[in-house]
Amino acid sequence: MNRLKLGFGLCLISIFLGGCWDRLEIEDRAVVLGISIDEADEQDAEAESNISHKNDSFVPPKIDKMRITAQIAVPGRIPLGPEKGGGTDQIPVWVVQATGHTIDDAMMNLQQQISDQLFFGHLRVIVLSEAVAKKGIESISSYFRRNSEVRRLTWMMVSEGKAEHTMNVAPPLERVPALYLLATLDHAVQMGKFPNDFLGIYWITSSSKGRDPYLPYIRIRGKENIEIAGLAYFSGDKMVGVTSPLEIGFFMAIKGMNPGGYSAFVRVPGIERSIMFRTTHRKSSTQLTIQNGKPHFKVRLSLEGNLEEKSTETFSLTEPGILDQIEQYLSREAKKSYTSLIATTQRKGSDIFGFGEYVRAKAPAYWNRHIKTSEAWHEMYKEITVDIEPILKIRRVGMKSS
Amino acid sequence: MTLWQRIQQFFLKPSKRPKQAGASEPSRAPSISGDLRQTASAISDLLGDNDDFVSRRFHLFGAYPANLFYFSSLVDADTIHREILKPLMAPLPRADSAPVRVSHLKEMLLRDQLYFSEGEWVTDFSTMIEALMKGYSAILVHGIDAALLLKTRNIDQRAIDQPKTEQVIRGPREAFNERLDTNLALLRYRLPTEKLKVKTMKLGRLTKTKVAVCYLEGVTNPSLVQEVMRRLSKIDIDGVLDSGYLEQFLSDNRWTPFPLLQSTERPDKIAAALLEGRVAIFSDGSPFALIAPVLFSVFYQVVSDYIEKSVVSSFIRLSRFIALVFSLIFPSLYVSIISFNPELIPTEFAVAVAGGRAGVPFPAVIEVLVMEIAMEVLREATIRMPQQVGGALSIVGVLVVGEAAVEAGFASPITVVVIALTTIGSFATPAYDAALALRILRFSLVILAGIFGLYGVMAGLILIANHMLSLKSFGAPYFSPVIPWSAKGAKDSLFRGQLWKLNKRPESYRTLNTTKVGKETRNLVRQEPHNILDPVSYEGRRNNDGTSSPGDRHRGGDGDH
Amino acid sequence: MEHPRQVTAIGAAMVITSTIIGVGVLPLPRFASEAADAGGPLVTLAGTVPAFVGLWLITALGQRFPEKSIFLYSEDIIGKWPGRLGSALLILFFAALSALTAREFGEVVVTAVLKKTPLEVTVIVMLLLAAISSRNDVVTFSYLHQFYLPFILAPGLLIAVYSLKNAEPLYLLPIWGNEPKAFGEGMLTIASLFQVSFIMSLLIPSMSRPWKAMRAGLSGMAIAAGFYLLIVIATIAVFGPEETKKTLWPTLELARMTSLPANVLERLDAIFLIIWVTAVFTTLLSSYYLTIHAISNLLRLRDHKMFTFFLLPFVFMLSMCIPNVLDLYAIIRLVGKTGLILTVIYPLLLFTTAWIRKRREAS
Repeated sequence: MNRLKLGFGLCLISIFLGGCWDRLEIEDRAVVLGISIDEADEQDAEAESNISHKNDSFVPPKIDKMRITAQIAVPGRIPLGPEKGGGTDQIPVWVVQATGHTIDDAMMNLQQQISDQLFFGHLRVIVLSEAVAKKGIESISSYFRRNSEVRRLTWMMVSEGKAEHTMNVAPPLERVPALYLLATLDHAVQMGKFPNDFLGIYWITSSSKGRDPYLPYIRIRGKENIEIAGLAYFSGDKMVGVTSPLEIGFFMAIKGMNPGGYSAFVRVPGIERSIMFRTTHRKSSTQLTIQNGKPHFKVRLSLEGNLEEKSTETFSLTEPGILDQIEQYLSREAKKSYTSLIATTQRKGSDIFGFGEYVRAKAPAYWNRHIKTSEAWHEMYKEITVDIEPILKIRRVGMKSS
Repeated sequence: MTLWQRIQQFFLKPSKRPKQAGASEPSRAPSISGDLRQTASAISDLLGDNDDFVSRRFHLFGAYPANLFYFSSLVDADTIHREILKPLMAPLPRADSAPVRVSHLKEMLLRDQLYFSEGEWVTDFSTMIEALMKGYSAILVHGIDAALLLKTRNIDQRAIDQPKTEQVIRGPREAFNERLDTNLALLRYRLPTEKLKVKTMKLGRLTKTKVAVCYLEGVTNPSLVQEVMRRLSKIDIDGVLDSGYLEQFLSDNRWTPFPLLQSTERPDKIAAALLEGRVAIFSDGSPFALIAPVLFSVFYQVVSDYIEKSVVSSFIRLSRFIALVFSLIFPSLYVSIISFNPELIPTEFAVAVAGGRAGVPFPAVIEVLVMEIAMEVLREATIRMPQQVGGALSIVGVLVVGEAAVEAGFASPITVVVIALTTIGSFATPAYDAALALRILRFSLVILAGIFGLYGVMAGLILIANHMLSLKSFGAPYFSPVIPWSAKGAKDSLFRGQLWKLNKRPESYRTLNTTKVGKETRNLVRQEPHNILDPVSYEGRRNNDGTSSPGDRHRGGDGDH
Repeated sequence: MEHPRQVTAIGAAMVITSTIIGVGVLPLPRFASEAADAGGPLVTLAGTVPAFVGLWLITALGQRFPEKSIFLYSEDIIGKWPGRLGSALLILFFAALSALTAREFGEVVVTAVLKKTPLEVTVIVMLLLAAISSRNDVVTFSYLHQFYLPFILAPGLLIAVYSLKNAEPLYLLPIWGNEPKAFGEGMLTIASLFQVSFIMSLLIPSMSRPWKAMRAGLSGMAIAAGFYLLIVIATIAVFGPEETKKTLWPTLELARMTSLPANVLERLDAIFLIIWVTAVFTTLLSSYYLTIHAISNLLRLRDHKMFTFFLLPFVFMLSMCIPNVLDLYAIIRLVGKTGLILTVIYPLLLFTTAWIRKRREAS
């Protein structure tokens, strides 16, 4: 038996002599931290190296060319631990660009320029320019989905103007720009300023038939600052509009997302001055009824919040009924805002609230008969009616007693 | 199924038989006849070449020719002078009466004349030779066809010292030494019960090592003892120099790196094992005794666990176990994460690690292997180094070398940290042979990790686990009491339950008498503690005795209120 | 088969559970949602019914003939040659199942983790692990499963529970799905994932208390079914039926999206894959072991060890036959469903025949 075992063992070991196929040391990888995707300019469109196709023998896809900008971490320039003095002179990332017909084409071109193999395992942010987003991002999105290295927790966002500028912005709070963007969004979620909408959730919402996806909309302010300027909403995979930052709060209120974090100025009736109300907790429930052959929704929401600032001393909060008055006024104003937001999205045919899912889930017979596809829902969404009943309550007024 | 047999014969060759072990001595013809001269010359032929062999002729009781044989290097000269020669050479008190018949001499010598505690008449020549070799003295009297063997052995031995390999913070500090008698004495004084049985046998054709098997009658399963004796009796080898030789013959599985018998130099550990229903095997000339059977728990259980309190012991045991697992997989995890799956670590850390490795010429797996090998070589070297030099080049010294390597750009700092932590963790395993097994396995895991990444580590761990699950020590599954699960046994596996809760002996050893703790003790524990010094119930008795005089006491008492 | 009876009832239950939870856990939610959209959980639940029936039949048969395995007593019941034919078919089926399991495993590893490693190597390593480990006797075999089961269940439950924080209950409605066009087919596909529980017929002759086998087997399968159901619910609740249909391995994506509280660990998918390797190993071990014992039973041999390496090349060839991953799933569904005939209908046939015979003998 021994000879047989020996022979067999030798045969097997020879397999392993082939080597370690997948071993790629960490310092041999080009860790891509962030990518931005723009439409290519005229001059870039011409100069394209023929990497994935020869010029004549290939019919390019119908979309225009795109230009990607990648932020690659330079090993050694991002130290752990406290910074040794004077280290801020070196830029810790390297920004490269490439053009291509599709995103994979552009990636191939990019790889051609870089010595190390591109590694997307730490890709944290993907920034699309508004122009690209308006044209439809299905192909981009599915490229990232097919790639197994990309995390589902990556953030994808739309930027006002050219996206490549975001790759160059370097605020002093964070050493790596892409990580700063990431931190902006993650902390926004924690502070209740933005819903949890990383790439995985984007994919989920875009696949759902009764829902349309949305992405953060960012804007560069000055030389070093990036701010969240609203929510870009999509119809299918094309961007159709942007909300204002406060409307993000409305959106989260309608969906009942916690924690709450938006503050709003409210003018107290009868007085010139205003107070600042800040939400801490949101709760909402939606009910569906079919009226006149069309879905009708009733959304009941309740918001709790604190009174953060009272910009005048002309009235005191301890006056009887003043808080109730403020609350009622707030509720009325809120109702107006919510309704207008919903109306805007209805006009554009973008159901970011997911009302379609309610229909699909709770009235499946109706859905199967009349709707069935997401395009049909886009049409029907324009005609639904929504009734909102917000209730706002002020719970605390801070450390001051009046 | 002759077809199968034919295929087998075609492919396979019969394995060779092992050679007979040991050189056999030529058979002995001579015997102890009554003729002194003949026997004496036979002995001298055999042993007379040795310079330390003494043949002393004397007249027994002044009348009968006799000869005393002994090895001067093995015996205590004083004993020979005083206890043997003096009483034997002195004439009998009734010298004037009729001379004693030779046939009575035999009885008289041992029963009346010699003040010796151990003595024996033997008729077999080879037994006498063997005894002589062991340090006995032999007395031959003309006319008696037997030899009187007296135990005069006195070989210097090492003093009882602290255990070198098994240190404890709290617990006895006696260790075995090389003499079987001393070791048995250390054991007997801990278990002074008539139930402790010691059975000996001689193994090794040339070393004739005395091997003792100890067990507690009424507790240990008799078939276990029989099996141990059976396996021991099958050993036919020319020399048994240490109990380790026995261990290799007694193991169920010859190829596994894991220990299937436990070896220890602490008598309290042996006593504890015997109380659990296991069997101890001593070998003369070796300070390490064997315990059979052994389970996986040997990897992380120590005797001092039972000396400390339950909560503390459980915590420490747990940390030991974690250190064990950690030291097994940490380097391979490091290699696989760095080389195959860097997406698992946080982004800032990943980039920083890349920075640390930027100048290093070798891939992570080579680096880790080289440093591990360096560590192993260093360990071996420190064992052999003389004391004065060894202290300086300790593991800490290696860290300094590691620092220098990092500065030179040869290794990355994180690798040094990983290796250092691993090595330190590996010392947490209390059993040396178990730690050895893990060291070997660590290497293979690193290599697998270098080829396949995390998947390789997993495959390696599965292989190791499968192997361990199929091991049996004298039939008991290696992983009891976890697999197969025994709730009572689990009270003492990773966590050490309270001593009174561990009231049954482990099931795996199939002991006869299973209860360890008396019922009353168990009930006593459940009662409320008797608060004798409770200040509330203390009645404040004044003590008029003692050293205080009336003048010492002041009013108001001594701090009573 | 000459081993003393040492497998405990709990041991048998654990064998069944860890055998069933295997490579199928990755594409399972996709099967379920392709069959019935949001009705995935219902399909899964329905799919467990044929599985339970099959297990019940085998256990009842085994309890009726507690000394022999199915390959031996089938000859007693329906005659020598029909019994042998049935056993031969079973051998072929389980060999194919082992090959498919190994191949599916290799595909996942090569796609998601080790992209450049040749597929052959990953498959061979796993088959080798199974082959080496099947050289043990039945008791050690049950020890292996008992040891690995907590490692499989605990992380799976952890991931399922933590992923629920991203869950949307709306995705689970309506309960029977919007368009359950392939409900029946889905049910059968899911039932075929449970087929390796056939190993029960091998365990019963070695159990210390065979009369407990029914309870053990059914509870083992119930735990596995509950686990699968939980995974399906969690996946569909988080991803929604449409996204689940689009992903090749939804459970893997689920692990990727989950993060432990306080973001202690982010990419749980690598951890999940590690645990999954164990699950696949136990499943493959069971089916390989079954094949080997079947052969040695059929040919009336004492020792099953010589086949462990002998069978390896055949199984390996089988798993390499398939050209690509999408074909792989088509074949898995096909083989799985035809296998149901062998694992459910054939025991039913045996059972009824035995029952009728017993009736006739009694009267």
